[in-house]
Amino acid sequence: MNIYLIIRMRSHKVIGIRNLTSSTYVIRMEKNDFSFKTGQYITLGFTGSIDRREYSIYSSQNADYLEVLIKEVEDGLVSKKLKRCKSGDMLDVDGPFGHFSLQNEELQTKKFLFIATGTGISPIHSFVKSHPELNYSVLHGVRLEEEAYERDSYNKNQYILCTSREKTGDFHGRVTDYLKQNPISSDTVCYLCGNCHMIYEAYDILEKQGINLGPIHTEVYF
Amino acid sequence: MKKIAFKTLGCRLNQYETDALASQFQSNGYELVSFDKEADVYVINSCTVTHQSDHKSRNFINQAKRKNKDSVLIVTGCMANNAKDELENRDEINYVVENEQKSSVYSLVDAHFNGEILHPSQLNTDLFSYGSTNKGFHTRSMIKIQDGCDNFCTFCIIPSVRGRASSRPLADILDNVKQNIAKGAKEIVLTGVNIGRYDFKNYKFDDVVEQILNLEGDFRLRISSIEPDGFGDKFLSLLDHPKMTSHLHLCLQSGSEPILLQMRRMYTLKKFKELIQKIRAIRSDFNITTDIIIGFPNESEQDFNATCNIIRELNFGHVHAFKYSIRKGTRAERMPNHVDERIKTKRSEILRSISEETKSNYRKSFIGKEQYVLVEKTDGLNAKGYGEHYIPIEFAGQNIQKNQFYKVLITGIAAGNDPELIGEMIQKKDA
Ligand SMILES: Cc1cc2nc3c(=O)[nH]c(=O)nc-3n(C[C@H](O)[C@H](O)[C@H](O)COP(=O)(O)OP(=O)(O)OC[C@H]3O[C@@H](n4cnc5c(N)ncnc54)[C@H](O)[C@@H]3O)c2cc1C
Repeated sequence: MNIYLIIRMRSHKVIGIRNLTSSTYVIRMEKNDFSFKTGQYITLGFTGSIDRREYSIYSSQNADYLEVLIKEVEDGLVSKKLKRCKSGDMLDVDGPFGHFSLQNEELQTKKFLFIATGTGISPIHSFVKSHPELNYSVLHGVRLEEEAYERDSYNKNQYILCTSREKTGDFHGRVTDYLKQNPISSDTVCYLCGNCHMIYEAYDILEKQGINLGPIHTEVYF
Repeated sequence: MKKIAFKTLGCRLNQYETDALASQFQSNGYELVSFDKEADVYVINSCTVTHQSDHKSRNFINQAKRKNKDSVLIVTGCMANNAKDELENRDEINYVVENEQKSSVYSLVDAHFNGEILHPSQLNTDLFSYGSTNKGFHTRSMIKIQDGCDNFCTFCIIPSVRGRASSRPLADILDNVKQNIAKGAKEIVLTGVNIGRYDFKNYKFDDVVEQILNLEGDFRLRISSIEPDGFGDKFLSLLDHPKMTSHLHLCLQSGSEPILLQMRRMYTLKKFKELIQKIRAIRSDFNITTDIIIGFPNESEQDFNATCNIIRELNFGHVHAFKYSIRKGTRAERMPNHVDERIKTKRSEILRSISEETKSNYRKSFIGKEQYVLVEKTDGLNAKGYGEHYIPIEFAGQNIQKNQFYKVLITGIAAGNDPELIGEMIQKKDA
């Protein structure tokens, strides 16, 4: 028996699915004995299927269930299939993986800025739910206002919605435009998650504003 | 006496594992023969990291049985994990052994010749139970400290064929190193899939390095391939230890920030450069070698030029460049804008000529300097080996012995695209 190999794939029962928009949904699963550090991701697929994808964990690390926030991607395979899952279905969860996580020693002392596009808000939701005492702001870039997924989860004055296709957000434009117009103080700890073009551009802007970013501060989805 | 032949493809970890298996077979009375000779057992330790490695592995499978149709053919390594069904359906292959059971290949063969047919899944699965490599193919002594990877770079199939990161207990590593030093090993090379992520009971990679360096004996330590994200100041402070070789293989993969992000690498180009500056501040002639992937999806002319520029700027001692090839099931497979093969080939040629030039310039900078060379081959008067920067050196002298260190004055450089340094012996190290 190999003492070093730990088989981490587990089957989790779906408790429910919450549709947030016509294409975006939250799957809630039983947590069983799964544990993770807020910010980490899992790979998910129907039990027995070889098609699996990475999803950040949306729920708090302290919750007694496991949630993921998923947007159905056009021509996407797994995001489409998972949208059809029902309570009682079994999903295989592997993980947790990833290094996109908060540093314990910074939790009480630092000011955080979380920058996300689309469903990149997922690990940030988990950060905020896991550590309600955090001193944070969220900058969320979406196309339409309806994509401000469960914005009530964040303190009202700490969540800035940047909408690029309509003027109904708190800011009309991309998160990168917001950052250029509203420089960030260099003692802020920034975390960036979502689309790689946003991350690349925002990284550049933030560095110019004197912010030091390490590898744990970015999570690229696609 | 039964004869066994090995063919190893791919990474240093595979080489190590073959060496350890070969030593075990030799200790049990087998004669080691080269792969093109007739043997009773053929072991192919395969690789699946690129299309080309799959192709080569298949070629060697075809060759093995033709030499001796009654031989036992075993295919192990990453292709055995990745294409298990395909391989198991090939009649000429007797056993397909996944990486997890690789260390038990000897038991499988032993049982086979005793009339017992085991299914590889019945074998002991232990990633680290390889014996020492003293009888294998190399004078260097490789020590496996870690296996698997959890980084999930978007191009890479390793996490699915080598499994998740796991680390060997530190006490086992130190015992293994001590045994090898006692048997005369002069160069210890650490291997694994992602050794920088070593993590066993709060011991990290720099603790492993520190404790090995503190062992008694006349040996040097070489860190083979390491990800540029896994180490901090403590590791850097160990780089000028007298037993440490001045060589690191740091896989950059691309010189373009957007491409690095799409690869989901754990560093930026800026951080990579800072790291190299720190290393070269410790030893300005430190040999840094690297891997580059050419033609990753979305790689534009501008991205490729950024890679060429960084190779010139960072003065790499060697660049191992390979064309991107789709690995099934990886994220990159599903990315849009795959680069045309002809463009990849053109870019490879450009990159090869740049890296040959930087390699030659780097090596020339040693002319007139001294190096300690560990001799791997000699006829007593001429010898070949590697200096402490892991550069191949050929030198002349007298009474030169294998597996000894010699102080050598570098006087010139050979021709060709992987030019050895040429030198003259000054003295044996302990003389
Ligand atoms: C670490 C990590 C965490 C992730 N977390 C989440 C998460 O919390 N929620 C979530 O919805 N997604 C997340 N993703 C993306 C997710 O893994 C899948 O890529 C996504 O669900 C699409 O999968 P699919 O099988 O439906 O599409 P596929 O069949 O894989 O892809 C179809 C096409 O869509 C493109 N594509 C892939 N992802 C996206 C996307 N997000 N938006 C637009 N186009 C895309 C692909 O490049 C491809 O061309 C994460 C990715 C990573 C690497």
